[in-house]
Amino acid sequence: MTFRQFAYHNVVRNRRIYAAFFMASMFSVMVFFMYSMLMFHPKIEDEFLREFAVSGMIVAEVILYIFTLFFLFYSMSAFLQARSKEFGLLLQLGMEKKQLNKLVFLETMLIGAISIATGILFGYAFSKFFLMIVRELLQLQSLPLYISWKPFTLTMGAFFSLFVIIAMTSVVFIRDQKIIELLHSYRKTDEMQSYSTVKAVLGIFMLLFAYGAATFTSMTVVKALAIILPPLAALGTYLFFTHSVIFILDQVRKNKSLYWHRFRLIAISEVAVKLRENAQMYFIVTIVSTVAFLSVGTLTSLSSYTGQFRELNPLGLVYSSELTNPYESEHISLLRTELEEQGLSYNLVPFVIKQQTSSFSQYKVNILRESDVNSLAIALGLPLIELQPGKGMFIPYSEDSLNQLNNREIQTVLQESNVPIQIEGVYPKMLFPSMIIGSNIIVVNDADYRLITEPLEGRTTMTSSFNFYAFHIAEWERTKTIGLEIDTQVTDAIYQKDSIDLPFYFENPGLDYSFIRATFSLLLFTGLMVAAVLLLAAGSFIYFKLYTGLERDKRQFEVLTRMGLTDQELVKIVNRQLIPQFFLPWGIAMLHSAFSFLSLQVIWHDLAEVSILSEMILVLIGFTLIQIVYFFLIRWRYIAHVRV
Amino acid sequence: MTILKMDEVTKVYEGKVTHRAINQLSFDVSKGEFIAVMGPSGSGKTTLLNLISTIDSPTSGTIMIDGLSPDEMSKTELALFRRRQLGFVFQDFNLLQMLTVEENLVLPLTLDGHPVKEMKKRVKDLANQLGLEQILEKRPNEISGGQAQRTAIGRALIHQPAIIFADEPTGNLDSKASRDVLELLAKVNLEQKTTILMVTHDPIAASYCDRVVFIKDGEFFNEIYSDDRRQTFFQRILNVLSLLGGNVNDLSTIRLS
Repeated sequence: MTFRQFAYHNVVRNRRIYAAFFMASMFSVMVFFMYSMLMFHPKIEDEFLREFAVSGMIVAEVILYIFTLFFLFYSMSAFLQARSKEFGLLLQLGMEKKQLNKLVFLETMLIGAISIATGILFGYAFSKFFLMIVRELLQLQSLPLYISWKPFTLTMGAFFSLFVIIAMTSVVFIRDQKIIELLHSYRKTDEMQSYSTVKAVLGIFMLLFAYGAATFTSMTVVKALAIILPPLAALGTYLFFTHSVIFILDQVRKNKSLYWHRFRLIAISEVAVKLRENAQMYFIVTIVSTVAFLSVGTLTSLSSYTGQFRELNPLGLVYSSELTNPYESEHISLLRTELEEQGLSYNLVPFVIKQQTSSFSQYKVNILRESDVNSLAIALGLPLIELQPGKGMFIPYSEDSLNQLNNREIQTVLQESNVPIQIEGVYPKMLFPSMIIGSNIIVVNDADYRLITEPLEGRTTMTSSFNFYAFHIAEWERTKTIGLEIDTQVTDAIYQKDSIDLPFYFENPGLDYSFIRATFSLLLFTGLMVAAVLLLAAGSFIYFKLYTGLERDKRQFEVLTRMGLTDQELVKIVNRQLIPQFFLPWGIAMLHSAFSFLSLQVIWHDLAEVSILSEMILVLIGFTLIQIVYFFLIRWRYIAHVRV
Repeated sequence: MTILKMDEVTKVYEGKVTHRAINQLSFDVSKGEFIAVMGPSGSGKTTLLNLISTIDSPTSGTIMIDGLSPDEMSKTELALFRRRQLGFVFQDFNLLQMLTVEENLVLPLTLDGHPVKEMKKRVKDLANQLGLEQILEKRPNEISGGQAQRTAIGRALIHQPAIIFADEPTGNLDSKASRDVLELLAKVNLEQKTTILMVTHDPIAASYCDRVVFIKDGEFFNEIYSDDRRQTFFQRILNVLSLLGGNVNDLSTIRLS
């Protein structure tokens, strides 16, 4: 047996213990590789998409890389610690420290090489599928599988360097210990029972404070809180796991009738040891899970925004034009031709919008004609209105205005033409994209509309009213190629900040929607995959810790069984031991993200008037279900191992 | 009155090599007796202990403990039986590291759901008797081997079992601590009439008993009863051991004059 064979056998025969972090690192390599496949894809020509996809992938890959480095470093050190007895024996048999380092290095590199190879293999195998999903999300024509050395080189380079770093540094943990210490690998149980009451209370207090602040936050302080709260909550979490948990369990222990009750004695004391022993790990798992929940939750809420997009933008295409606009008829016929070429059926409702000053508010009002509004309402399938002469109705300009204007009643005079109007209530649905006609819109009876003849004060007849073309298109998502030319002119004008000079304005919600949707769903998809890697790793941490403590647990259960512990009680003890280990970090992470979302909701509501509660609940339920499945899986393996 | 009755007990381990660990072994233990089982390595002592502590079942033959047959009980009934009727003392103490001495002592009672008041009373009595009052709040890694074994004995006694099984209780102790533990066992046996079955290598430990049963290759070899003087009993044990023809290493080099 050569030295290399020895290292090889060590890995292969320890495969059950190596399995957890082999899985996690392989999965990480796989996702990393698929991201690079997208990053280097030659077929993404659209500049915006290309830039967006590449930068998104780079961020995701950096996160993956850092996290994998951290995860492997932690697992490796724990693993070497667990094998210290074996290393002690090797040293006693005359192995040099240098050889031991070489052994660990070889083993790590072997695992690394295998996970990189299988990761890339699976990554390439799933790339077609991945690219198909991305193609759907970005609504591209085609995104074929391709072969290029770039993604392969990047992945291999990144992960080989990572494994070399791990292999070089993890040896540090065994270097300075004496052989006798390695052989005995003393369990440090005494220091584990210690805690500081001050720190314990401080930890709980910090968490409560952070939660309280997050709940009662408002727009004015939210930015300051966004800087203060995360570090505070993180420190609070750390203290919570290292001190508060032990403190709380110790309070339970003082109550003998609670503590000295059947198997509770064993379960509680065992949980205390496990939680204290792995406090740092639970802290990490909690933070990682919180970040995963938050990113996925935020991204889901973004996509819920796209769901509400249609309600906010009920029209297919919108073109508004000043009466002086020389391109008007050309543009409208262009749009009609393009729609017909695409085979899209549409209803075109032209409006002439008149402007007057309201005597009530002294502001400019945009006035629509009742018959125009009704013909648009017919096209959209919305309720019709009936106005008596002298009466008027508000048209909502945003979701908020629906409620604000609902019960308003105003008596006003349209000053220039001297037409008295009594405005009552608001049209119950959004008719136009928000703010496209301005914020003050009313609809009046046709007869009253005819009476408005005088131009707005300080303007001519030509500039005090404008034409507005509303296209209703049932298949509005398919309009992204319509009017691209006009859209480019509008966008250019906006970028050059002289849009006022353009005598027309064009909006294509279908095109906007396709961009928003593509961006959000790609972000969500990327985030979900990163979160999946993080969660898998978090689960592996727990599995790994359980596995390294297995021998000791097994002996303990053997003694207890001999003393007369029934099988049912054993299962109950295992449950009470595993449930806190699985669900305490989980629960805290849940609380963290729930409260974070409470304050996010404040920001979010201001941005887009979207409630993210239902999406959040869905995401949290989903993650909990995964965790429950994971718990039962691990419990099943664990019980199979410890049962005598 | 017989508390443990072994009748023609045989245990065969099937496997690549079939191994007959216990062969038609029969002996009785009376109530209140302090009995030692001795034999060279591989004579089947551990198998015997596993069989009578009901965590393993014999291939043939019957075992009766306190008039009950473990063979006819379900797994749960067996666990409850062990919990109430048997006490265990191990070579490496097997105290639970995360529990204090006091909690280790009450463990069998908590498993059985006794009221806290009663547990406290019994701990107080036992600690007094075993000299553990000062270390009740300590953890197993903070006390000496002798104290740990006394705690283990306390744990075996606290639920007043029908019989206590001790597996090499002095194997990990120095001579002073060994003597303390053996004297304690003898005292418990004398004062509380507790039946004790001890498996041991150590002729000194065996010499504290009322009777020593020798087994060899899983079969009954000989038995001797104690007399008035421990020294002569010890000498007779040595004689049998040399007859056993086991390994010289099994014989203690210590001779008491």
